Amino acid sequence: MLLPEKMCRILIVGSKDRLKDTTEVLYSLSLVHPIDYLEGDEGLSIGTPFAEASEVSSRLLKLRAIEKDLDIGEGASAPPMAVPEVQKRLDEELTGLEAQVTSITESKNQLSSRQAALENEKSLLMPLTTIPLDLELYSGYETLTVFTGVVREDPQALAPLGDVEVFKSTEGQFVAVFVTKEKAAEAQRILVSNGFTEVVVPKGKGSPAELIKSIESEEASISKELEEAKEKAARLRKDNLGLILASDEQLSIEVEKAEFPLRIASTKNAFVIDAWVPLKQEAKVKTALQSKLSESVHFEVLEVKNRKEMHVEDTEHDHDIAEDTTPVKMSERKPLSMFNGFTELISTPKYSEVDPTAIIAITFPIFFGLMVGDVAYGVMFAVLGFIGLRKVRSDDWKTISTMLFFGGIWATFFGLFMFGEGFGMHFATHGTDITWSSLLGIDFPHAINLGGISIPLGVFSKLDNVNTLLYISVWIGVFHLFLGFGLGLFNISMRVGVKHAIMEKFGWVLILLGMALLLPVVVANVNNILAMDFGSMAVLAPLGILIVGLVISLIGEGPLSILELPSLLSNILSYTRLTAIGTSKAGLALAFNQIALVMLAPMGGAGIVFGIVIFMVGHLTVFMLAIISAGIHGIRLHYVELFQKFYLGGGTKFNPLRIVRKHTSER
Amino acid sequence: MNEMVDVGSGLVAIGAGVAIGLAGLGAGMAEKDIGAAAVGAIAENPKNFGRSLVMTVIPETIVIFGLVIAFLLMGKI
Repeated sequence: MLLPEKMCRILIVGSKDRLKDTTEVLYSLSLVHPIDYLEGDEGLSIGTPFAEASEVSSRLLKLRAIEKDLDIGEGASAPPMAVPEVQKRLDEELTGLEAQVTSITESKNQLSSRQAALENEKSLLMPLTTIPLDLELYSGYETLTVFTGVVREDPQALAPLGDVEVFKSTEGQFVAVFVTKEKAAEAQRILVSNGFTEVVVPKGKGSPAELIKSIESEEASISKELEEAKEKAARLRKDNLGLILASDEQLSIEVEKAEFPLRIASTKNAFVIDAWVPLKQEAKVKTALQSKLSESVHFEVLEVKNRKEMHVEDTEHDHDIAEDTTPVKMSERKPLSMFNGFTELISTPKYSEVDPTAIIAITFPIFFGLMVGDVAYGVMFAVLGFIGLRKVRSDDWKTISTMLFFGGIWATFFGLFMFGEGFGMHFATHGTDITWSSLLGIDFPHAINLGGISIPLGVFSKLDNVNTLLYISVWIGVFHLFLGFGLGLFNISMRVGVKHAIMEKFGWVLILLGMALLLPVVVANVNNILAMDFGSMAVLAPLGILIVGLVISLIGEGPLSILELPSLLSNILSYTRLTAIGTSKAGLALAFNQIALVMLAPMGGAGIVFGIVIFMVGHLTVFMLAIISAGIHGIRLHYVELFQKFYLGGGTKFNPLRIVRKHTSER
Repeated sequence: MNEMVDVGSGLVAIGAGVAIGLAGLGAGMAEKDIGAAAVGAIAENPKNFGRSLVMTVIPETIVIFGLVIAFLLMGKI
């Protein structure tokens, strides 16, 4: 369960006329991860796509154009359609559909460009409406020059010029100046000195206001036509959405299959498929090939991939060649597989190392729960996560929902038994604090008795027992790190050898052990470290272990390992965030509860309303913050502190030939 | 804290506040550059999210140290 599934490398050879059937069989199995062939050796070359590839591709291209015109994006969904129906309708309807969509799009484009032209014309005519002159009066004079435009200041200096007539808009911004040709230059100078900018008068006849009216009526009819075209497109989209999505999927699958020969090696008459198959399923692949293709293709297992690395003692160069590209198949069993996303977020594990998903699946929700530690939030998280797991589709949201669901369950557990609180308030009486007991007037017990066993409901208070909780979280850290080093030891001994593993990791295990054993002594004397009895066995023995460990590390990894010592210490202390975040959340919740329930609610009337609002908004804030802080810090403890001890990552994900259907169905 | 506390306790409390405040400031200064670079890396390739997150939160431990010191100091009042 912890290691990626064992793989074997297979070779399938056959004559080219069998390639198509072979491809079909391999796709139907969903078990074969092909190794892409890179040209260059032994007289082999990359295969050529099947004959239908170009036709299918061009149809797919047309379909994609239709999708773009009809605004069908990633998120669209429709009930799945049976494959034969898709193929039949695709043949019959694609051309017609394309013509329809093209005509709608074209008319839409034409209307839009006409609309823009009209809008432009209108904006040119707009200033002229303020002057009571028809359009034809602005031009066609032999002795007059006409200036039309906008001015900054009223050009009063024009009046003394004589032989001039000035029309002004009511607010004086727009002017039309009619002046004899002889005085045109002088008039222009005056206008320019008043900040004149010319506005061109459009050609035409009649009064500008009436022209605008007719433009507006045309615009209205155009926008109506546009609406109609859009409606038509929407109707077309609605009627054909299922077909389009299904066709896209079907054609994509066909293209992928048709282009499969591009991934393999071939000669003039034969093909060679080099691929990885999970060892357990090797027989299944072989049987499937033999039963469907009888003896016409050759099937051979080349090697069963070992987890030991290729010999490192060879030259550096050889080591590079041995770069491991064996695909890694992560567990597909639920609930473990639900956490795959968290591992993938960093990197796919290597073939020759432990897949850390199982560790994440166990400790991450526990950490999340510890940091939240509240029944009310826990139940809300679990419900939210449950809904998320059922409703959301994207992998990212699924991963987040997984965290919320399992984290919520643990939060409920810890909230009930360890902290005994809901919405930041204890159930049982706790000093003079506001609790559910004091709020509801019911006396909640500190523990319940079930069949003679006393089950506590709240052992610690997040705000009062901080030091104890910090101490507990440090111990959690120590155990988590032991786990990390243990896995590191295992990985290296599997990959390179036991001797190497001991030199590299065992020293650190001893150092961590020494630190862990020193921990109680240090904590007992935390107020005065120097007064500690340095001669006692409780101090000397752990120190001895620590030094032995350090010596092993020094031999194994060199002097740099001394520099790593403080970082190990900081790794351990980093786990105190398990308490710190819980405490800060409790502090926030307490503040909101005090405001809402102690200060506002007893006032009555509006106080109760405000109290309820503060209570809800406040707890929603804490709740949202809990997702971010508990989630990020919980996963961070894995990524930074734990993974550093053993995880390499950088593996190749197992990606077999397979067909994933969302919008179509086989039957 | 109904009665007057002595000056020493007050100073310890201030020390606790300073410990966590400065630790937070330090972590923030360290994180700002990493965060900016991380956002750039993610913008280039969303697959970098996991690694970027790890890099970004590395200095955060400093705040936790400050917090632990603050709690230890508060224990002395």
